[in-house]
Amino acid sequence: MATAPPALSFSRPAFAKLSPHPFLLASLSQSDSTTPASRTNGRAPNQDRPFQIHTSSLAHAHGSALVRLGDTTVVCGVRGEILPVTSIPQYRPATLYDVEQLDAGGSVGLGRGELKDYDLLVPNIELATGCAPQFLPGVPPTTLAQKLSTRVYSLLHSCNVVDPKDLRIWYHPPQLATDEDDKMDEDDGQEDQAAKPELKAYWVLYIDLLFVSFDGNPFDAAWTAVIAALKDTKLPVVRWDPDRELAVCDSRTNVSALNIRGLPVSCTAAVFLEKEHAEGGEAHKNKYWMLLDPDRLEEELCQEVVTVVVDRSEGETRIRSIEKQGGIVIGRELIRGFVGIAEKRWEAVRCAMAKDIL
Amino acid sequence: MTANTAPEAALGVLPKADGSAKYSHAGYTITASVNGPLEAQRKDEHPNEAHVDVIVRPAAGVGATRERHLESVLQSSLSQIILVKNFPRGLIQIVLQIEETPENDYVNTKLVQASVNFPIMPALFQTCILALLSAAVPMRATATASVVAIVLEGEKKKTVVDPTPKQLQTAQSVHVLAFTSHDELLLAESEGDFTVQEWDEIYETAKGICCRPQTRKSGAEMVLDEADVAGQADMRQFIRSTMEGKVAADLHWK
Repeated sequence: MATAPPALSFSRPAFAKLSPHPFLLASLSQSDSTTPASRTNGRAPNQDRPFQIHTSSLAHAHGSALVRLGDTTVVCGVRGEILPVTSIPQYRPATLYDVEQLDAGGSVGLGRGELKDYDLLVPNIELATGCAPQFLPGVPPTTLAQKLSTRVYSLLHSCNVVDPKDLRIWYHPPQLATDEDDKMDEDDGQEDQAAKPELKAYWVLYIDLLFVSFDGNPFDAAWTAVIAALKDTKLPVVRWDPDRELAVCDSRTNVSALNIRGLPVSCTAAVFLEKEHAEGGEAHKNKYWMLLDPDRLEEELCQEVVTVVVDRSEGETRIRSIEKQGGIVIGRELIRGFVGIAEKRWEAVRCAMAKDIL
Repeated sequence: MTANTAPEAALGVLPKADGSAKYSHAGYTITASVNGPLEAQRKDEHPNEAHVDVIVRPAAGVGATRERHLESVLQSSLSQIILVKNFPRGLIQIVLQIEETPENDYVNTKLVQASVNFPIMPALFQTCILALLSAAVPMRATATASVVAIVLEGEKKKTVVDPTPKQLQTAQSVHVLAFTSHDELLLAESEGDFTVQEWDEIYETAKGICCRPQTRKSGAEMVLDEADVAGQADMRQFIRSTMEGKVAADLHWK
């Protein structure tokens, strides 16, 4: 097959640099059938890189995680900031009763609406750190960074990972005269609602992701880091001080963890075609490999990418997202099969997260 | 609320662009212009193929991360069906202006939304294809897209084509699928909470809209009847009849 001619042999890095497509193809299509196809990075086509997850490494963030996926390293820090409802434009006041009704009614849409309406989750991804040669440091966010931020943002909302209940800060007025008549004269200006708790502020979670090194598959690494960091997040317990109109926290040690629903895990593969310059019509006959967890070289050579996000924390497999674009090779059957691969990936990520906690 | 109206389209609406189209369906109105092949900028130049540049302009405000994401999805799909190898070092530029979006009866409508807006994708897709056809850009196939949602109605799950903004708020899952005219799956984007079986049903529904088998041999009336029976638009037939109308109008003088 397409191996370098012996008369003019290059070293592996030179071959990879000069003609990356034949380099990967030569590696994948071994001439004798005894040796299994392997990628240039030594992995089998359906072999992924193990996750290494380490949480609570940042001292000043409320939650943080460092995730390594081969040579892709991403740091995620979650920081909560208090947003008083008076500074929200178009704020619609909700009483405790309303909110409880909504939460009990299982009306996901409205809880999600709260997070979305007031932008309580703010993910941002920074790639311009010199993490890979193609990202120059100190430039405005590239298309890839913006795209990743959008995907993380929309997946955070569509998976409902954060419970809006955890982000609400209530003011419980002192129950001055509970067992007597409700219409006692009350000297604070709360009128007739004085006894009812009031929603005074929200926590806004700033989720910042920084790629320390970049070797392909940024979305899987980023998403795992977001989930690990959110699971690690502990917000201080605050109470609302009505006199100062401020949320105050009593002690640094009094913290409460967020309730993170489920464990959505994303799994990405890229499709590598045998003929680099195939005309569209030949695409059917073109031999292809599905490369699980592609690295940087493979990502540059592959057009078609599929990402599936699954969650098995409730026993059965629920798909949270499917994204397939950039080609026509992956059809219905391949996506169905890929869900099976994603399930295995889910187990691996669950183990990696459990290992970190122990 | 938007009624499930039939799509409407006009070709060649912009006099100066190489090709243009205006498309409206399910409350969205989009105008697209296509220019190309042009000379590519140095940074976008590719020695073997043309660069496809997609620019999405929102109805209000300036484009942000959401538009970048939509652009990259469209760009990766369209460069698969345009014969980019025919124009090495060239550029095909597609500019999409969103003119109207459906009224949202929910109170807190934000002007700029960062989230991916699934329902707009099919409209953008169809407009792109029509504009590319209008500009006579050589393509391997045409493509059509549709958006389908699974909505809970009481206890039962219901599949809704072209969901309204209200339905989207409460939908269990939302899916966008695009198929080429060779019935290949070109784009699949889904989010929400669903199973493989549900996705299969969605796939069938979307395929029914995007690639209904041609029944032209049995006469044009048959096509109309069938579309009425199914109660859903037949996107491929729509693109075809729009083009036929345009060609007939252009050749009217003969």
